[in-house]
Amino acid sequence: MLAQLIVSGLVNGSVYAVVALGMTVLYRSTTVVNFCHGEFFMLGAFAILVSQQVLGWSYTASILFALILLMLFGSLVERLLMRPLQNAPHISLAMMTIALSYLFKGISRFFYGREVVPLEPLVDGGPIELGSVILLPQDLLVAGSSLLIVLGFFYFFQKTQAGKVIQAASQTPRGAALVGINVPRFQNFMWGASAALGAVAGILIAPSTLVYPDMGAHMLIQAFAAMTLGGFGSLPGAVLGALTLGVLENLIGGYVSSSLVEITAYLAIIVVLVVRPQGLLGEWRQGRG
Amino acid sequence: MDKSLPASTGPASRGPRVRYILVIILAALLALPPMVNDYQLFVANTMLVYCLVAVGLNMVLGYLGQLAFASAAFFGIGAYVAGLSMVHLGLGSLPAILAAAVCGGLAGALVGLPALRVRGYYLAIITLAFGELMRWLYVHADGVTFGSGGFNMPGIALFGSELSGTGKYYLFLAVVVIGVGASALLLHSRYGRAFVAVRNNEAAADSLGIAVNRTKIIAFAWSGLITALAGALYAILNGRVSPDTFGISQMLMHFVIVMIGGLGSLAGSVIGAVLLTGLPELLRNFPGLEEIVFSLLLIVVLFFMPKGVGGFLSSRLPWMRERLYREGRGNA
Amino acid sequence: MLEVHHLTVRFSGLTAVDDLSFSVQRGEVFTLMGPNGAGKTTAFNAIGGFIPATQGSVAFKGKPISGLRPAQIAALGIRRTFQNNGILREMSVLENVLTGLELDTPSSFWGCVTGWPASTRAERNATARARAMLDKMGIADLAERPAGDLSFGQQRLVEIARAMVAGAELIMLDEPAVGLSPGDRLHLGQSLRELAAEGVAILLVEHVQDLVMAVSDQVLVLNYGKKIAQCSPEEVRNNKDVLEVYLGHA
Repeated sequence: MLAQLIVSGLVNGSVYAVVALGMTVLYRSTTVVNFCHGEFFMLGAFAILVSQQVLGWSYTASILFALILLMLFGSLVERLLMRPLQNAPHISLAMMTIALSYLFKGISRFFYGREVVPLEPLVDGGPIELGSVILLPQDLLVAGSSLLIVLGFFYFFQKTQAGKVIQAASQTPRGAALVGINVPRFQNFMWGASAALGAVAGILIAPSTLVYPDMGAHMLIQAFAAMTLGGFGSLPGAVLGALTLGVLENLIGGYVSSSLVEITAYLAIIVVLVVRPQGLLGEWRQGRG
Repeated sequence: MDKSLPASTGPASRGPRVRYILVIILAALLALPPMVNDYQLFVANTMLVYCLVAVGLNMVLGYLGQLAFASAAFFGIGAYVAGLSMVHLGLGSLPAILAAAVCGGLAGALVGLPALRVRGYYLAIITLAFGELMRWLYVHADGVTFGSGGFNMPGIALFGSELSGTGKYYLFLAVVVIGVGASALLLHSRYGRAFVAVRNNEAAADSLGIAVNRTKIIAFAWSGLITALAGALYAILNGRVSPDTFGISQMLMHFVIVMIGGLGSLAGSVIGAVLLTGLPELLRNFPGLEEIVFSLLLIVVLFFMPKGVGGFLSSRLPWMRERLYREGRGNA
Repeated sequence: MLEVHHLTVRFSGLTAVDDLSFSVQRGEVFTLMGPNGAGKTTAFNAIGGFIPATQGSVAFKGKPISGLRPAQIAALGIRRTFQNNGILREMSVLENVLTGLELDTPSSFWGCVTGWPASTRAERNATARARAMLDKMGIADLAERPAGDLSFGQQRLVEIARAMVAGAELIMLDEPAVGLSPGDRLHLGQSLRELAAEGVAILLVEHVQDLVMAVSDQVLVLNYGKKIAQCSPEEVRNNKDVLEVYLGHA
């Protein structure tokens, strides 16, 4: 049972990792905590839904559609709504992302009312047995894709030239501007990338859960919990925290009580911020980072 | 008050003109019930509730200047404490409301404790987690809280006789006037100054002998008290208390009201609450429309009126200028 | 009044203040001088309780104050101003000065919330004292302006008014002349000498020469955290150790 719990936890955690990574990347490059990141996740799932069921496209086309759409979306949000506020106090920026979260929820609720819509799984097939652990092909796909994305992400950032430039620009926007990096365009790209990452998670998870307008809010808190556990602002921390959270949720659900699964994230946040605010890998910095 | 002293402290200092206007508004409010139908009275009552909510949230968000996402939690605590104390303990309406206020104050002080250690986004996240934790509690402590279905409020009586819509209105008006009035008095005293001092420059406040930690806790506790009071009224108004009311959507609405009304502005809180409570009633038939309109309003305000309606008005009408208002160059 | 004995402050290997000793009497204006990085502000912050001293002790009116927190030190009658503005920008000038009376306004929380007469009276008295202070400093006309809108010179005066309104016995000023015009500096100097004449002890950190010369009774020159000279302003000008330190300085 333990092995099963841990493995399932890792599968769930891998999705959290993609979401948390998207939020952390944006935070690192723009110092904005994006409270509507959960909605990018939700919109990604809805984009798949709409393109499959309304437009009748295949899964592959839908995935591409969702990714491109959300990337454009993130980019538009930055250009039209965040950039004009760049000199405003942080609270205005936070409020803008909160307003957007509310807006996107409202829009999807407008079209999909109180329906909760199921999607078809990405892959069919019976359960696979690996020793004492049982997995669905969907789970493998999710975990595998997440792993690929996370690894690809780190490879890009650590090994490629473009990635290193991005890292530098994230650390000191002013310094980056001084050496000729176009900071606004860079931030625009990061918003698009972050939205796309959120969408990816939505795409991965949508077939196994139901798609509904409020699904983003729940994921937002999971992402916060993952980032807090791993160390807010730390990219490897976001991944580590996410995997830990996934496993923790399953362990608590399996050994203590299934009704505690929902609040594992909240408890993790509270305990970590009170006992060890820097999480597992982060540096503790007071203030808004 | 001593008329020879130049106008400077206390609500009366805003000049005789403001006093005159407040009296007129109060008179109009007192005369309202016979002039409107039941439904409109219900809307008026809802506006009163949200005035308190906005003032409560503004205390921490606007005056103390901390990003705390706990107002839905305090709102819920007020509703649940008032309702459950009436159902389980047989308390009358006034004691139940009082109990809600006290519990809200205690909850506020509790939430203020992490605020001493963390700030900024960390505080936002931990208070968000606290709110969701409370909601989980309402669902799972179902022996006491009646679980996810919620429960119905018993009939509300005051001094023996059952309250009608009009009776509730006068009760709410009294509670709101007291709550907002007390908040105004607090803000015009050295405590209000301490809030803003801590917000502007903690080190300077420290050097003046202001007890920084205690000031933060007081702001949070008062915010919790006022918001819980609003929650109690909300429960009484709707006759029903259930967990899903008090989640993130509720909190977002509170934020939108305060931002549109104006951070750090009492008049703005009231104006924002009145303006925005009327809207949902118009938009109720379409799912999601309320959220869309509210969020678009907030976006417009963030771009064009960052100090909110209250701020906009006080820059045009000098007599409306409140002290301790969040001035500043450019966007504020 | 203020006695500093062998004050030493070290941070991670760096000795910012090294065995500093001096005392400030009632009615005396005592200035700490030195090039940038000499440790003046560090010493200042250590005396004020904002950073802990590694060694040494500080006493005020005979009582030890090392290790006390800033709010406790304020309660003993010591006030300070800040280098990069301790002004509370979003309050009016009058309100800024009123915060100076925080410890002197006997109003309780519940008194304030209910508008209890005793609390309202306390508030009125505090306001009267604050206005009187603004009058004395010659800035009564600025009372209702938001403090963040004033010029640096005016803000300094407000900070001083705020520091003095509760009748502090020792005030510590951290580079008050920075950013002031010569006229403002003159006015500042006059205010400080008036305060000293009333018996207030003043500890000043400053490197603007003309203010230091005009205002100080005693000057202590620091370099790399160590005292290199302590004498009257006139003597400092001719002191060869001091000249050596400042040689090469613009």
